[in-house]
Amino acid sequence: MPPDINTAADTGEPSSKFAIQKKRTRLFGLTLDETIRVFFGGNALVAVIVLALITFFLFREGSQFFGQNRDSLRTYRLAGLEYVDIIRQQEEDHTALTRYLFDIRLKAVVQLTEQGIDAAEINRRLAAFDAFSERYSDTIVPIRGLVFELTEVATDIKTRYNENEDYKVARKNFLAAGMKAEADEITIKDLDFAKEIVAITGTVSAYEQINNEYADALKASVTVLPTLPVASLQPRLERFRELTREYLATFPGRLATLKAWDNNAPVKWTEAFTQFIFGTRWLTASFWQDWYGIIPLFVGSLMISCIALFIAVPLGVGAAIYVNQIASPMEQRLIKPAIEFISAIPSVVLGFFGIAVLGQALRALSQWEALSWVPGFPYSERLNALTAGCLLALIAVPTIFTLAEDAINNVPRAFKEASFALGASRMQTIVRIIVPASLSGIVSAVLLGLGRVMGETMVVLLCAGNRIAIPDFTAGFTAFLQPVHTMTGIIAQEMGEVVRGGIHYRALFVVGLVLFFIALLLNFLAQKIVRKYRISIG
Amino acid sequence: MTTVSTNTFASRPSTGRSLEKSTFWIFRIATYVILLAGFAVFGDIVFKGSATVFGAFKTTSSFPYFTNTFLTEAPESLYVFEHKGEKREMGDTEYRAFREKETAAALAAGKPAPVFEAASYVYSAGGIWPCIVGTVLLVVGSMTIALLLGVSSAIFLSEYARDGTFVRFVRLAILNLAGVPSIVFGLFGFGMFVIYFDWNVSLLAGWFTLAFMVLPVVITASEEALKAVPKGFREGSLALGATKWQTIQSNVLPYALPGILTSSILGIARVAGETAPIMFTAAYVVRDKMPWDVEKISDFFFQGVMALPYHIYVVSSKIPQNEYTSRVQYGTAFVFLGIVALIAASSIILRNKLRGRYKW
Amino acid sequence: MDTPSATPASRTFNVPATATSAEGAQTLIEIDNFDFYYGAKQALFDINIRIADKRVTAFIGPSGCGKSTLLRCLNRMNDLIDGTSVKRGSVKIRSIDINGRDVDSIELRKRVGMVFQKSNPFPKSIYENIIYGLRIQGVKSKSRLDEVVEKSLRGAALWDEVKDRLHESGLGLSGGQQQRLCIARTIAVEPEVILMDEPCSALDPIATAKVEELIHELKKQYTIIIVTHSMQQAARCSDQTAFFYMGKLIEFGETRDIFMNPKNPQTEAYVSGRFG
Repeated sequence: MPPDINTAADTGEPSSKFAIQKKRTRLFGLTLDETIRVFFGGNALVAVIVLALITFFLFREGSQFFGQNRDSLRTYRLAGLEYVDIIRQQEEDHTALTRYLFDIRLKAVVQLTEQGIDAAEINRRLAAFDAFSERYSDTIVPIRGLVFELTEVATDIKTRYNENEDYKVARKNFLAAGMKAEADEITIKDLDFAKEIVAITGTVSAYEQINNEYADALKASVTVLPTLPVASLQPRLERFRELTREYLATFPGRLATLKAWDNNAPVKWTEAFTQFIFGTRWLTASFWQDWYGIIPLFVGSLMISCIALFIAVPLGVGAAIYVNQIASPMEQRLIKPAIEFISAIPSVVLGFFGIAVLGQALRALSQWEALSWVPGFPYSERLNALTAGCLLALIAVPTIFTLAEDAINNVPRAFKEASFALGASRMQTIVRIIVPASLSGIVSAVLLGLGRVMGETMVVLLCAGNRIAIPDFTAGFTAFLQPVHTMTGIIAQEMGEVVRGGIHYRALFVVGLVLFFIALLLNFLAQKIVRKYRISIG
Repeated sequence: MTTVSTNTFASRPSTGRSLEKSTFWIFRIATYVILLAGFAVFGDIVFKGSATVFGAFKTTSSFPYFTNTFLTEAPESLYVFEHKGEKREMGDTEYRAFREKETAAALAAGKPAPVFEAASYVYSAGGIWPCIVGTVLLVVGSMTIALLLGVSSAIFLSEYARDGTFVRFVRLAILNLAGVPSIVFGLFGFGMFVIYFDWNVSLLAGWFTLAFMVLPVVITASEEALKAVPKGFREGSLALGATKWQTIQSNVLPYALPGILTSSILGIARVAGETAPIMFTAAYVVRDKMPWDVEKISDFFFQGVMALPYHIYVVSSKIPQNEYTSRVQYGTAFVFLGIVALIAASSIILRNKLRGRYKW
Repeated sequence: MDTPSATPASRTFNVPATATSAEGAQTLIEIDNFDFYYGAKQALFDINIRIADKRVTAFIGPSGCGKSTLLRCLNRMNDLIDGTSVKRGSVKIRSIDINGRDVDSIELRKRVGMVFQKSNPFPKSIYENIIYGLRIQGVKSKSRLDEVVEKSLRGAALWDEVKDRLHESGLGLSGGQQQRLCIARTIAVEPEVILMDEPCSALDPIATAKVEELIHELKKQYTIIIVTHSMQQAARCSDQTAFFYMGKLIEFGETRDIFMNPKNPQTEAYVSGRFG
């Protein structure tokens, strides 16, 4: 502002000598310094923008999933696949029962072999049981036939519907591109589901008849139970009869469901959500119906994290206490960088180590006689939740160690000195003063360690076994020795193979979104706990 | 006996004492179990991997006369076959040449062409040169971006910002960004750079994805380094009539720079070590051309590259484990671990050195 | 100059007879009805003071009385602290309101230099330290820079001690030398006013004596305002003294008057060592 100098000079004061007025060049009304400030501020904003963009792009790619999933479920219902699956469930339940029988036989064979009886003799003794077993298995044949036929029909309807939908899209694309002639060549035959579905629902009376016969046969087959050569297994057979009766009791309900089933019943929005959040099946690229249920993946992630934390928390916290309170300065100087060094081992290298060494080593360990008392030992799957969990523990340990050590270090010296001055031993001081005072810090360290483990990809992708199924928890500890798949692993594994924009692609983004929010939640909790702790100390 | 016990300060054996001792031992064991586990991983890979790397030294006829085929060649398929009662192993190019030569020789001699029954193992011959190049390119590019953005943000936060909603927001974002899983960064990079910006699988997409991933590390480290510069330097400079920017560039940044760089090296180790973010954004399973074989400059940025971590993933998950494949698996892991360990170690050493030197 | 007496019991002041009288000196800085806040907390209350040109003015008072705050207001160093604000009143230097909208704080600080409590030479060579202010103003001429370095170091009575090691680090000097280096650095940019914020509080008595001697020399050319905890120091080197208490200016006048016959009982209590 040039006039200012003049006015100042006008007052007659010797102020022209004391020139402190602004005379800087301006760019869009900002001085150079302000411009720089804005530039740096803009850079700081990048962190916010990136976080917003992550949220935005995950939502952008994932948001249409629920709509597509709803469409998929609607087709599933309209084309009668759902109807067929109701009957199929009955078949599968039957298969489960026959598996129970098979299990009894296996146990009998094992026990008889232990008694020193040879195979031929065992087979002879089990002949009655085998005959019973076969009779039982055969009862399902008519139902199975029906399911087979209906599957064909339903698949046909679905395929025709999907083809038609594809034509519609193609036609629209042609029209959009202004290629009318090509568009007209495509004939669209809209499917009349109400007419088509008759081929499926029309079989209900046939089903009823077959089902009655099946029920009778089943009932008849279990009226007389064979006597087993191993008396101790007889109660299991009794239990089997019990189960069969329970199974039979579900028949009327199933029939009612089938009769009431309507292929036009609307698919609610909530169903698309619940199918994802509570769905127990993650089944993709199937000829029948794709399912996107996150539960098996979530359970897998959670299980591996539990194993990892189970190992890493005692080790990490123990080491933190040791290094901070007990170790000699020399040890401290060596151990801290060493553990930091471990944190630098890339996860993919750890994963490779799991495949190449640890998997086999753990399996060999499980086959060691002296450890056969451990539930689940010996096991045969080299890559499973335990292998992945052990390696993830090594990833979580440095995080937990560093943060826990920090927390312990932040306990004011005065607390420790006061405790010593009162005659407490080192042990008492640690247990009664140091650990309680740093507890919230340690807890938040564990939470951040959990976040680290949950988000880890390469180790689980390489070492968890990648079987998409909820482990069988009825077997107790053995569940932790089964191969699982994880949320991170599924994204890494399937992202490269999916069609962009397809439902599967979008489902993976939604899984990413779930991971993102789990990470934010864990972070939030950890911060909250730390903040609380600061107030209590201050 | 009574005369001895008059010393009331003498230490007395008690159950409490021995309990204390045993508990300390438990803690000690926990610590050493961690170190042992780390050492086991490290030792196994160094032991088995060094055999591959050091076994690959060859003499050559032209200049440098000495080369390491594992470090300087591209991956090839390995062919294992029996020839004239001898078991032979050859890389793809060598095998083809050998086969043609043998066939020609047999035809010339009027014998029927020899039949080769070779078992092939992908990626198991040759070396990992393109992967090393790719990794270096990815690290250099992403760290440049991350340092530019991160140091600028840190300068803002430590020098310019005043506590307020904006700064609280930024800090919250940084804190949360640090906890986001790397695979989510990968998804984000895929969704934004690869698809939305249509950069395809490219160096550029990988750079930005990785840069955003390490951003929190760089910002936090840089801010700490800037905060460690005494306030007097700033006040002294400002009191002499320097502008804020003059103060920062001539009297703050130079003294914070060593600290910024050391801590950022840890960020580099992280960038070099991550696989998940580059899986769908920058990494190719295999690529024949080297990154500099491009027609125009812009193509350089829009090409995918091979990278060490991704190569390890590929060779350890997509090919079976046996004596032929494990060589390349361990060799790659060894080289990769060596690079990352070198970076991490230099950061730790440098930091310990600087900690003593920069006291004002 | 007598050696300063350290025992509070014998508080007799040697007010230099050479002190120039206030009459006849021009007013340089006028502070009128000045209120200053740190956030919601008021730090200065209704300050009115006239500071004369080419004189040494001392601000004294107990800790937290606002004397340093007022000093830092004179070259707007307080701008750097979050949440500070001037709510009322004005500070005028040569009749220009330094808090005015058109005033550039950077230009202001070139005219009003400052020396800090803790000596803060930059970790550069002595030479670089001195020319820092000129460098940032864009002076490049080597001969001019050399000339300024010598002039400033002579002005700060440091030339003879360091002339052989101009290119060694400023951090290698002793505490007193460091502080004089900071003064030399300040006069190198030729300000009109030099603000000194307890410049001797971290120095031993001999280094203190040297700095005080320097202040005497400097007032021929510069207006000096010095905040001090030591009343002996205020008495020895200032021409005028302002006594602050709880953010208020209690008494301001010729140093002789403040120490010999203070008008305000609080001032008397403070200078006679009964509190503070």
